[in-house]
Amino acid sequence: MELRELIREWPCVKEQWLVAGREERPQVALDPEHLSVELTAGAEAHLVLLYTAPRTSEVKIHLAEGAALTVNLLFTAEAFTSVVIDQDATSRLQLTSVELGSANAAYTVNLRGADAESCVNGVFLTGGEEHAELAIRTNHLSADCRSRSIARGVAGGKSVGRFEGMVYVAKDAQRTDAEQQNRNLLLSEKARIETMPQLEIYADDVKCSHGATVGQMDQEAVYYMRQRGLNEVEARRLQIAGFVGDLVMHCGEQECLCGAILELMEEKLRTI
Amino acid sequence: MLKVKNLHATVDGKEILRGINLEVKAGEVHAIMGPNGSGKSTLASVLAGNEKFTVTEGEVEFEGQNLLESSIEDRARMGLFLGFQYPVEIPGVTMANFMKIAVNEQRKFRGEKLLTAAEFLKLMREKAKVVELDTKLTSRAVNEGFSGGEKKKNEIFQMAMLDPKLAILDETDSGLDIDALRIVATGVTKLHTDKNATVVITHYQRLLDYIVPDYVHVLYKGRIIYTGDKSLALKLEKEGYDWLINDYKE
Repeated sequence: MELRELIREWPCVKEQWLVAGREERPQVALDPEHLSVELTAGAEAHLVLLYTAPRTSEVKIHLAEGAALTVNLLFTAEAFTSVVIDQDATSRLQLTSVELGSANAAYTVNLRGADAESCVNGVFLTGGEEHAELAIRTNHLSADCRSRSIARGVAGGKSVGRFEGMVYVAKDAQRTDAEQQNRNLLLSEKARIETMPQLEIYADDVKCSHGATVGQMDQEAVYYMRQRGLNEVEARRLQIAGFVGDLVMHCGEQECLCGAILELMEEKLRTI
Repeated sequence: MLKVKNLHATVDGKEILRGINLEVKAGEVHAIMGPNGSGKSTLASVLAGNEKFTVTEGEVEFEGQNLLESSIEDRARMGLFLGFQYPVEIPGVTMANFMKIAVNEQRKFRGEKLLTAAEFLKLMREKAKVVELDTKLTSRAVNEGFSGGEKKKNEIFQMAMLDPKLAILDETDSGLDIDALRIVATGVTKLHTDKNATVVITHYQRLLDYIVPDYVHVLYKGRIIYTGDKSLALKLEKEGYDWLINDYKE
């Protein structure tokens, strides 16, 4: 199903959204300038943020104890968005951000209570002369929290993609388990990727990993797929889709949303 | 089906194939053996169209067509299958999705009706049995995290799915334990008919206990220096290649 049709069935949120209890259906915010979301203790919700206009946007989210939120962001225009998420103890965040072209997305996750968990996945696909930025900052401010930030970038043409990652572990945030990973695929010689995976650790009993890679298409894989009958364009497209696709597979129970986003991504890939 | 005449090929300017002559007819099984570095895998790659290699001389006819002028994918669609010595991992692309696209690309090329999702799933279940492949593997990314044995089984599974006219199996037996070898080899034998042909490239005679060849060729320094029947493989296993190579030198 197309994304536009899909979201028409869901309620819209504007400026403020308070969730107490369990929201069955995802709520959509379209090009919000300011949005504040509050999940009370134990609440569960799914938020879809769509950026279709070149504007600035500030989103503040608070997850009270034990709350769980799934967020999907999709950029089809050059918006400048900052999202700050404060998480209390035992809360859960699953965020997926997809930039289809020029956009600037910055996420800050503050893990403020024990046993809070965050998973932030970011993807950007750029071609032509586009420029995408993705920043993920995770602040471990309390002990016993887990975080994962995974970013994948694909840049073709003369485009530029930039990732800035930071995992900050405060002195008291012992037994932190943090993973930060950034992998990129360059499709042309003129495209550029800049990546800055960073760690800043003040506690002494932590498990933190970080890494970044920039690579090219795997020609062996293209050859392998062509030997099975796919043409070169299709083989390349499938490989790129595979590279970024699995990150998008986290749309909570909304499989059709994943499908719609994947379809848009494939459409975008055809133009890079 | 396949006629190779005086085939020469180079990689990075170095000549690897120095005049291969080989004819394979429908219904036949050929084994190509030979010491390391003799050009066995290069022959397989050149026939598949791997762009790393340059053909400098010779002709290859496949099903009446000039194979060397066809793209890699058109060769595949014409019915030439290469079982890879080192199957490639493709992260994020599921086996099922990959095979569905491949099967339908090939059907489209041959002017056949495309398979629906249900028809495809049925075909996949059926063919997974040929190599006792766990159907769970088909929902995983292509070859990613597969064991050595699973990767080779997966090659034969793909061969079963694509039903090629000519299958060239490049050291499909390497790295297999005896059970996996039996399953892979039995799978290949099950797929063999009088309408298709198989070329197996191997180092070891033991594979040929299961896949009985009509011809055994010995490749040495880029040429086929000797052709015999299946008993040749046994003799090579016992005596090595020295007697042949010495013969050849004289």
